[in-house]
Amino acid sequence: MMNQSNSNWFKKSGFIALVVVFALIFVRLGFWQLDRASELKELQKPYIEKPIVALSKVAAPSQNLKDSAINRIVEFSGQYVAQFDAPGQIDNQEKIGTWLVGLLEVNGGGAILVVRGTETDELPKGEVFVKGRLMLRQFENRAAKSEDRLSRLDPSLLVANYNLPVYDGYVVADSEMLNGKPLELKRAQVDPIKPKVPGYYWQHISYVIIWWLMALVVVFLPFYSRQRENKEKGMVH
Amino acid sequence: MAFAAGIMSLLLWFVELPVVYLLDDPELAAKVKWIPFVHGYVYAFYVLAAIHFTAKARFTINRMILFILAGTLPVASFVAERKVMREFPIK
Repeated sequence: MMNQSNSNWFKKSGFIALVVVFALIFVRLGFWQLDRASELKELQKPYIEKPIVALSKVAAPSQNLKDSAINRIVEFSGQYVAQFDAPGQIDNQEKIGTWLVGLLEVNGGGAILVVRGTETDELPKGEVFVKGRLMLRQFENRAAKSEDRLSRLDPSLLVANYNLPVYDGYVVADSEMLNGKPLELKRAQVDPIKPKVPGYYWQHISYVIIWWLMALVVVFLPFYSRQRENKEKGMVH
Repeated sequence: MAFAAGIMSLLLWFVELPVVYLLDDPELAAKVKWIPFVHGYVYAFYVLAAIHFTAKARFTINRMILFILAGTLPVASFVAERKVMREFPIK
């Protein structure tokens, strides 16, 4: 008798837990679509530049770049330890070219990839102060990788070769100062990255409605089942 | 409603998705952009209609769930509608 009531209790609790889990999943999916809809709305607004910030305030070595850090104009100083070519890069005028990229050991720890410019230059020796836009790492190769050539702008390509914790992403330098003197270089021109959100605003809103409707359905089903059982019992008696 | 949901699913699966993800034609993509959100709202109404009907017809929970899910697949809603019409013919 006791065993049967225990097993009933477990069955009921399991069922309630399942209903709650499913309802929460659907509610969460609704919020996910709502976020996408609001992201799409945000994308339609013109980009507003945020104040310049120290690199260490928005990013840290060996950590993924936060969404809020992408596109920020950052400044930092350190010393260049290596330099590479990055072929197949495209600027904001859709011009394809080879960019000069340096690996800079940042004062305070870690190293970061810096797009120095679009023309060749010697590796600066000494303390360099850099100001530039922090960008998300690239995922697709644009060329074959070799010792002095990067297939894409992705710091993970260098992790095995340098014993330094690297910052995620890369910086497109707007200016560099070597020992207080500006380095004159033709800089790469890039626009802030716009995240690509598929779909349309009202489409995502319709999915919000569907997911939340599904959550309501999940909550409604046990009541429906109980009502149906009661009605059937009533019909039998 | 099942008929409308089925047609919208067909348009979504076989027109909108191939145009957007397989063809590189922004002009054509712009012409079919109404499909996904009309599909979204039609499906929401389909779910409500499905619940209303299946509850009235006192379907089991499993049948109710299957009926709701049928609206997500292109042909399933037509099949569901046909079955229901046979079971509950309009007098």
